[in-house]
Amino acid sequence: MINFLELTTSGLALGSIYALIALGFVVIYRGSQIFNFAQGEFLTWGAFGMIALLDAGLPWELALLGTMLCTGLLGSVVERVALRPLIGRPVFVTIIVTIFIGSILHALAMVVWGSDPKGMPTPWEAMKALKIGEVSIWWNSLAAVIAGAVALGAFFIMIRYTRLGVAMRATASDQETALALGIPVGRIFGTTWFLAGAYAALAGVLLSMFPRNADMHLSFVALRAFPAVIVGGLESIGGTVVAGLLLGVLEVWAQGYVNPALGEFGQNFHTVFPYIVMIGFLIVRPYGLFGSQDVERV
Amino acid sequence: MQNQNKLILEVQNLETVYHGVMRVLRGMSLKVPEGGVVALLGPNGAGKTTALRSITGLLDIHEGKITKGKINFFGEDISKVSAHIRVWRGMGQVMEGRRIFPELTVSENLQSGAFGVGRKTMLDRMEAAYERFPRLKERKDQEAGYLSGGEQQMLALSRTLMSNPKLLVLDEPSLGLAPNIVSQVKELIREIHKEGVSILLVEQNAAMAMELADYVYILETGKIVRDGTPEELREDEDIQEFYLGIGGEKRTSYREVKHYRRRKRWLS
Repeated sequence: MINFLELTTSGLALGSIYALIALGFVVIYRGSQIFNFAQGEFLTWGAFGMIALLDAGLPWELALLGTMLCTGLLGSVVERVALRPLIGRPVFVTIIVTIFIGSILHALAMVVWGSDPKGMPTPWEAMKALKIGEVSIWWNSLAAVIAGAVALGAFFIMIRYTRLGVAMRATASDQETALALGIPVGRIFGTTWFLAGAYAALAGVLLSMFPRNADMHLSFVALRAFPAVIVGGLESIGGTVVAGLLLGVLEVWAQGYVNPALGEFGQNFHTVFPYIVMIGFLIVRPYGLFGSQDVERV
Repeated sequence: MQNQNKLILEVQNLETVYHGVMRVLRGMSLKVPEGGVVALLGPNGAGKTTALRSITGLLDIHEGKITKGKINFFGEDISKVSAHIRVWRGMGQVMEGRRIFPELTVSENLQSGAFGVGRKTMLDRMEAAYERFPRLKERKDQEAGYLSGGEQQMLALSRTLMSNPKLLVLDEPSLGLAPNIVSQVKELIREIHKEGVSILLVEQNAAMAMELADYVYILETGKIVRDGTPEELREDEDIQEFYLGIGGEKRTSYREVKHYRRRKRWLS
């Protein structure tokens, strides 16, 4: 039972991170029908940007905001320079361009920061844990859950109640009409990339805290958030969050219960587990948990 | 030709090409005077929607390009200005088929038409829209996709008015609406015009357009083939036969009706 609770909380922490990453995929996809395969590199840049800012002497909280801001700006620059000129081109063109940009960002990160893993400093002791009875929860997990909740909550308030949010949803619904109504659609695309970058940076920082490190493999985690996007229904922001949390928990459960049961074979079974869930969904419910259902007058 | 002193919109010798090969407009010109209602009529495929897209700046996202000619809005060539900036400069449009955002609520739809407008002004204009259409107020928190066709047209119009346009470009506002709603739309256009908005109206419903407009252009295969006041055009036999459906000659049996029997005079 204790084991179960501990696994569940660290699953929720991982799930919050997946949700943050998947949200980035979804806002960009809804805005401009681009699937951003460079998303993972934003994780790396966010994490190493954080370490760089801390080295420069910024306090932890400011460094976190700073790296989110910088990575967000990196996202909008990528959009403006590489993807804006491709508006209206077939989907595969944009996909290949994002893969290409991903490689460039990856190589650049290696040049700037090298390929050695670095520990992510935290304001609290890395292994500090909260004890509730027998159950101990790492502060780092708690921080991930709380930061994820705050960031996602802020996003929902923004998209639901602010005028920028309305403009973003209008653009997602019908680009041409949005443009015809005076919404600067290009700028909205830039904003979606900014958000994707900033949230990826947050996810990157949370992810590279103990027990992991900040290293060049961080970007692969974005691909592990990919099933959350599919299971959530690709266009549904709420669905993505639910699916992200769900898959995070399922993955850690798999790690805790299924891996040992499989013996030798099961060493890294948990990493493929989200994909198995995704394939299951693609077979049974290809539009995901909350896939978009068009509202139509009967 | 018209002789008003101030033109809000002037299209000169416009030529457009889609996908680099398909020429649609071949030297179209038209003028909208300030405070005027101008109608652009023409059969399917004449290039009416293309003309509107060139004017409102939506041509490039349809892979179209202006290859020749000018579009002057308040005396300034806007053919290279992007669409949203044209809106900010005072050009509002209601696209064909209403195109409301179905999964946004009615009030969010209205908000989306007021990007860059101050919050208070936006709320005032929203209040004005609700006053004009109490139905919209009743349903302001409902998803707009569930509105009836007529209500959607009202919403589309109100949404465009949120930017307080000086020139209103309407593409087929009567399309797919019941006759009583069409007359309601007609009244509404009159009302908006009385408030000082100039109007460019594209219609297939020639009778309605002629009633509203004070100047009419007829577009066929990418060129203006006739223009004049509605009174002048009503006298014209060709217009009567081909646009208003009141035949020049007496017809007793529909078997004798062959639409190619008489060539239009302007197709020499």
